[in-house]
Amino acid sequence: MSNLRHLLPYMARYRIMLIVGILCAAVGAGVSALGPYLLRLAVDAISAGGAQVQRLLVFGGLIILVALVDGAFKFAQRMLIATASYKVEYDLRGDLFRRYLSLDQGFFGRNHTGDLMARATNDLSAVRQFLGAGLNGTSTAVLTFVAAAILMLGINLQLALVVLLLMPLSTLVFVVVGGRMRKIFTSVQDQFGNISTRAQENFSGIRTIKAYAQEDAEIAVFAEDNARYRRLNLRYVLLSGALWPSMSLALGSVAALVLLVGGRLVASGELTIGELVQFNAYLGLLAFPMIMLGWMVSLYQQAAASMGRLIAVLRQEPEIASSHAALPLPAPRGEIVFRAVGIRYEAATPDPHPATPDSRLPTPDSQPSEWLLEDISFTIPAGTSLAIVGATGVGKTTLVHLLGRVRDPDAGEVLFDGANVRDIDLADLRRAIAYVPQETFLFSVPLRENVGFGLGDSADNQLLDHAVQVSRLSNDLAQFPDGLDTMVGERGVTLSGGQKQRVAIARALTRDPAVLILDDAMSSVDTHTAAQILAGLREVMRGRTSIIIAQRIATVKDANQIILLDGGRVVERGTHHELLRLGGRYAAMYRRELLESELSE
Amino acid sequence: MSRGFEDDEILGKAYDGRLVRRLVVFVAPYWRRLSVAVTLLIGAALTELAPPLLVQRAIDGPIAARQLDGLWPIFAIYAGVLASNFALRYSHNYIINSVGQQVMQDMRTAIFRHIQRMSLSFFDRNPVGRLLTRITNDVDALNEFLTQGLVLILADMVTLIGIISVMLALNWRLALISMATLPVLTLIVSIYQRYMRTTYRAVRQRLAMINAYLNEQIGGVLVTQLFTREARSQAHFADLSEAYLRANVRSVLIFALFIPAVGLMAAIGTAAVLYGGGQGVLAGWASLGMLAAFVQYTERAFQPIRNLAERYTILQAAMASAERIFGVLDTPEDVRDPETPAILPSPVRGEIEFRDVVFGYNPDEPVLKGINIHIPVGQSVAIVGATGAGKSSTVGLLARFYDVQQGGIYLDGVDIRTLAQRELRRHVAAVPQDPVCFSGTIASNIRLHSEEISDERMRWAAELVNAAVFIERMPGSYDHEVRERGSNLSIGQRQLIAFARALAFNPEVLLILDEATSSVDTATEALIQDALVRMLKGRTSIVIAHRLSTIRHVNRIIVLDHGKVVEDGSHEELLAQGGFYHRLYHLQFAEQVSR
Repeated sequence: MSNLRHLLPYMARYRIMLIVGILCAAVGAGVSALGPYLLRLAVDAISAGGAQVQRLLVFGGLIILVALVDGAFKFAQRMLIATASYKVEYDLRGDLFRRYLSLDQGFFGRNHTGDLMARATNDLSAVRQFLGAGLNGTSTAVLTFVAAAILMLGINLQLALVVLLLMPLSTLVFVVVGGRMRKIFTSVQDQFGNISTRAQENFSGIRTIKAYAQEDAEIAVFAEDNARYRRLNLRYVLLSGALWPSMSLALGSVAALVLLVGGRLVASGELTIGELVQFNAYLGLLAFPMIMLGWMVSLYQQAAASMGRLIAVLRQEPEIASSHAALPLPAPRGEIVFRAVGIRYEAATPDPHPATPDSRLPTPDSQPSEWLLEDISFTIPAGTSLAIVGATGVGKTTLVHLLGRVRDPDAGEVLFDGANVRDIDLADLRRAIAYVPQETFLFSVPLRENVGFGLGDSADNQLLDHAVQVSRLSNDLAQFPDGLDTMVGERGVTLSGGQKQRVAIARALTRDPAVLILDDAMSSVDTHTAAQILAGLREVMRGRTSIIIAQRIATVKDANQIILLDGGRVVERGTHHELLRLGGRYAAMYRRELLESELSE
Repeated sequence: MSRGFEDDEILGKAYDGRLVRRLVVFVAPYWRRLSVAVTLLIGAALTELAPPLLVQRAIDGPIAARQLDGLWPIFAIYAGVLASNFALRYSHNYIINSVGQQVMQDMRTAIFRHIQRMSLSFFDRNPVGRLLTRITNDVDALNEFLTQGLVLILADMVTLIGIISVMLALNWRLALISMATLPVLTLIVSIYQRYMRTTYRAVRQRLAMINAYLNEQIGGVLVTQLFTREARSQAHFADLSEAYLRANVRSVLIFALFIPAVGLMAAIGTAAVLYGGGQGVLAGWASLGMLAAFVQYTERAFQPIRNLAERYTILQAAMASAERIFGVLDTPEDVRDPETPAILPSPVRGEIEFRDVVFGYNPDEPVLKGINIHIPVGQSVAIVGATGAGKSSTVGLLARFYDVQQGGIYLDGVDIRTLAQRELRRHVAAVPQDPVCFSGTIASNIRLHSEEISDERMRWAAELVNAAVFIERMPGSYDHEVRERGSNLSIGQRQLIAFARALAFNPEVLLILDEATSSVDTATEALIQDALVRMLKGRTSIVIAHRLSTIRHVNRIIVLDHGKVVEDGSHEELLAQGGFYHRLYHLQFAEQVSR
């Protein structure tokens, strides 16, 4: 629960605002406690029978004055504390985002996007609520309680004790019922998650559902899930429905007791009617702050848990980062050496059912896993090409990931222009490499920005147009309503697999890189267009280092050298002809492809 | 977890009679329980009128007369009022929420059922996230409307009218003095409400933008890192975050002004009661007890008026949600079953004919412009052509995912539009392009919900398509758990399961969409190819092929170009023609055969 101490450095930046805010709360509380006191003076004056109209006017004016002063301080208190809480949220959100952007793929592999999102949204707002509403409410509640307590104790000990001992009961009721409610609510939420997951799966897979006429069965299952959700909710309502009525009951009982005890005191002459009215007014004044205190307990618990989850992210150190004395890479040539590189299997994929309120982030397995790749060595002289072939899952993508330091090898080293990539400034290194991945990620921005993603703010239009041409994205521009300025994504057009891959190729080309990596980058492009792109790329790749991964020999056979991965090692290497002459696996793969084409003739 | 990131606007009316009348249809079946709930709530509101009155009775009665024993009956009544208020409120809460949950369940199922009836063009138009919002957030907004909106507005009215009546009955002059501030308060609330509405909207929209951006940035973090765009992403995020901060500070300002303003009105009300009432006590037309009671009543009268602001927002949100929900429910089924469906001649043979078929996803832009194809029983046909030539549309039409705009499609001589969709799809199975898997088990993914498919039949299908080998190697075999969207299976495995599913249903006509699944290794690719051959054997089938290697297994090839059949014949015939197919073929294999 001490997680919240990590909030202190953030609060310290706005300490003046917060301190002044709390001072305002103190003054406001003191002033507001005067209101009922004035009421008593007026009532007593009236009941004494000697009050003149003039004095009543003065009391009325004072009551309004108290409200004005109280209002002014409460205004300042709210503005200061709540604004500070939003600023802390802003700072925390910025830090969180910066941290996310710096973390390595290992981290994103271990954590679900949904969970990372939840930390930046729900957890952040829980912390902010605690700070804003919580601090506001607690300071008002505690200080008002103290001020009212002092004034009440000054009047009548017996009646004051009735109020001061019983009022906190309502806080207790809130804490107990509220705590039990939260427990049940978790199971309600889980079931809601089931419903929405099921619906989502159904809508995404609607073609299959319809193709096999499964709609009615799906409706039946959905209805059943829904009914279960309702039943769970009713259990929740059984409890939540009692919360506010029991608060009213608790507060009302205090009022009734005050009337009974106070009335007897007035009757026995120990209390004036005005004082009884004053006590009654304090009940009204304290009711809301007491409830707030109860709410605070749950705010505190949530915020402490949430802060723990935020800190877990903020403390996460990226495994991939520039070293302190990183070498700059002003003019990359593109010579690449892999020296006895070994890579272990990634840790197991995360559990598909996240939503654990657990603050801990999954950590990489400490036990070394099996080797995925072992003893991989090759040299790519600047300006030449290397092709990598091998079955799915053999580790081709992981191998090229080492170059841009998406991950680091577990053994051996990767050299770029003679320097270990770990020693090179990370930004410089990545600027020298353009990587076209297997699966393209497009952002919901115009097509132009997606293509020019790697360009600086001063987008070079010529470079961009050239990239669009070479990637043959130009063929499809007429299909998009606004050409290159068409929005992509939910609020814009959806691109086909082939179009996406061509955007990725164009994106890589705009970088004018020293090294170009194509990772099975044209798998969804139709053969006709692929041939066109390959022709254009040959021009672009001249003088650049390139690495090509492909499933088909036809795509890779022109490379300066080809390596074939199998069982975690390079089993064959050489040029296309050398490998054919070798008569090994590569030759077999090639024969299979040829056979396929002959068969179809 | 895209829930809540969509910023559906909340604008416009807080009450729309047309929408409310339609909502009534969903509530009507539970009117008995609903009226019990409303009655209980009115009872609760009435009991809340009692305490100030009891204070007045106590002060003016036993306390003024110094009769200690006289306090007991008042205390007893007070306790009774509190207890009954608790009972009334609690039972109201339970009943109204149980009705609300029931209505939500009905509504959700109704929307889901309707969505299931929609044709695929509906799903093309509506992203999954949006449909999900309809059955989650929008239904929730209507529940709020029922449980927090309408009913509580009624209770607020009862409270307000009750307080005013009691005050008038108690002392009409004091009542008029007390009520003097209420119109001003109403004005303050309505001004506050107007400013807060626009500010909250800004807050919601800006939060939605932050969330959308964050989601995308996490998804594409590798791209950002590899393209060294971190600084610019941070700058953009800071802009979004700051816009959100500003909107929030504005909402704080409005709220921080509103609360003291209300407090001031309460103080003015109290001062007025004291001043006027004090004179009344001196003049003899009021009592001290009345003064105490009126101070409390004035405060209590504020609450319903303050609630107005909140309730207004709930009503508005509900109307907007209702509009969107009925928007879905009102979408007509564009592919619907005929009143009296025709019956296919038994046994179904699987002869297919496309007669002058014209079709476009947008009727103004036809994709198919007059297609005539006749496929005899048992023939396997491949359709090839460039992207956008209309290949997938032919399959979509034959499975009646869409309806033709002109012409007709016939199965064994029967126009498929005269058949029930269930009947048609029992005989025509379409294997979709991206192999879909659902959470469940391998078995449930093959037989779906069908109880007619026996274990033997399922195993037979899996063996035939080469899926049995990997399935039987998995722990639990056919009972092996499949995670959401089949994320624990490879694409190749999902493809084979999709094939097994098609065969398990044993259709007379098979439609296969075969997008080049390049991410499959050569060994799996060979398994898939082998499975395809076995599936096509002796069965009327249409394969949409992107890989020419698939095509070598079919009897006949149809080439589509710009929505028309341009070539039709066997592989050899078409190659000899030297046309479109010839070009396509050589583009694919030119490189492989050149050496």
